[in-house]
Amino acid sequence: MINTRILTQEFDYFAPESIKQVVELLERHGEGARVIAGGTDLINQMKEEKMSPSCLVNIMNVKGLRYIKEDEGLRIGAATKLRDVRAYCFKSRYVALYEAISSLGKPQVWNMGTIGGNLCNASPAADTAPPLLVFKARVKLVGKDGERELLLEDFFTGVNSTVLQPTELMVEIHLDPPGDGAGNAFLKVARVGADISKVSCAVFLKRQGRTCTECRVALGAVAPVPMRVKVVEEMIEGREIEESLVAKASEIVSEEVKPIDDIRSSAEYRRQVAAVTFRDVFWKAWDRAIGGKN
Amino acid sequence: MATYKLELKLNGEKLSAQVLAHENLLSVMRNKLGAKEVKNGCNKGDCGACAVLLDGKAVNACLTLALQANGKEVTTVKGIGTEDQPHPLQESFVRHGAIQCGFCTPGMIVSSKALLDTIPNPDRRQIREGISGNLCRCTGYNKIVEAIEDAALKRKS
Repeated sequence: MINTRILTQEFDYFAPESIKQVVELLERHGEGARVIAGGTDLINQMKEEKMSPSCLVNIMNVKGLRYIKEDEGLRIGAATKLRDVRAYCFKSRYVALYEAISSLGKPQVWNMGTIGGNLCNASPAADTAPPLLVFKARVKLVGKDGERELLLEDFFTGVNSTVLQPTELMVEIHLDPPGDGAGNAFLKVARVGADISKVSCAVFLKRQGRTCTECRVALGAVAPVPMRVKVVEEMIEGREIEESLVAKASEIVSEEVKPIDDIRSSAEYRRQVAAVTFRDVFWKAWDRAIGGKN
Repeated sequence: MATYKLELKLNGEKLSAQVLAHENLLSVMRNKLGAKEVKNGCNKGDCGACAVLLDGKAVNACLTLALQANGKEVTTVKGIGTEDQPHPLQESFVRHGAIQCGFCTPGMIVSSKALLDTIPNPDRRQIREGISGNLCRCTGYNKIVEAIEDAALKRKS
């Protein structure tokens, strides 16, 4: 993939101020129109000529798309900067999201990039996806036919593709409240800091003493879409946690993922590292569920 | 081809220019607004040489469309301090030999200014995180980290 480092294609540009105007513009300009939020992914994709929109609709001036509030869990406006989400989640009950954002870029990217942008771009390696999947996030989309809400796990349909219609815009991400006795964590394996993940993993769990009462596991960069591993969740839920059970579960993780060979890693390497990463993340979340730090 | 009017404040001065939608902030700064202190390194968001403050927050000008900066305030290294009145960070970089070839310096100063604006007394880990989006191939970073630490101390006293 050659990055020409310049934008060669011509396009029209709009910066509307309301969701209604965004939808109208998307409708008027059809398939060639793209929403731009921070642009940190989109502009590079355009430089690589992976994408050539005829029209960009900047949503950063739209009112009511940038907020973080506690309301039956956590509600985050889709155009909220990664910087703000990261700061909010630091030492919060959603620390896995802090860890994911910390790993996905550096200050200049956190200052420009948005959480909705990371999701709508739909990279298999989107680092905010695994934590949001284990927090059972729902996403709210608005389009010309009104509003709909769906689980994030039903949002991704393939590499860089989602259920978003050409005239739709993501407006909100809604995370479940974690509740008591909950712990969560995120880890990724990459070559250097802020690099794209080879494997990423998030775990959310609840414990009572030695028993895990609830468990959700998600991995990124090991399948066409960020994925939950429900077989493993079912294996762990309601069970007393022992080293041997977690070891067995990590073997299943390695069987369930569907990685590919690419420039960053071989599929075989990803399978093995997925198992280890899952194990480390699980124990981290497990310790955190009783107030442990690591 | 449609052109758009771009209005922004560059280092405190109100400016406007006609730009095309696909021109990025980096090229408009260098080629239309005369701000050559903004450096073109990798032009894909990896090196931070083109970092500027956009409404006080460090961003990479190469990953920003010029129109995304419309109506905003852009600050470059020249807006942080001048030759006659350098910012404590700039003095500190010189004193500590935190500049070798100098190409990363405008971006480094911008990122460290943004850091000190949020965290006035950063520890070494926070300093390293603050400049983690800026690559320097000469200094090995130690002198830069020391310079920022020293500037923060000097500002406090």
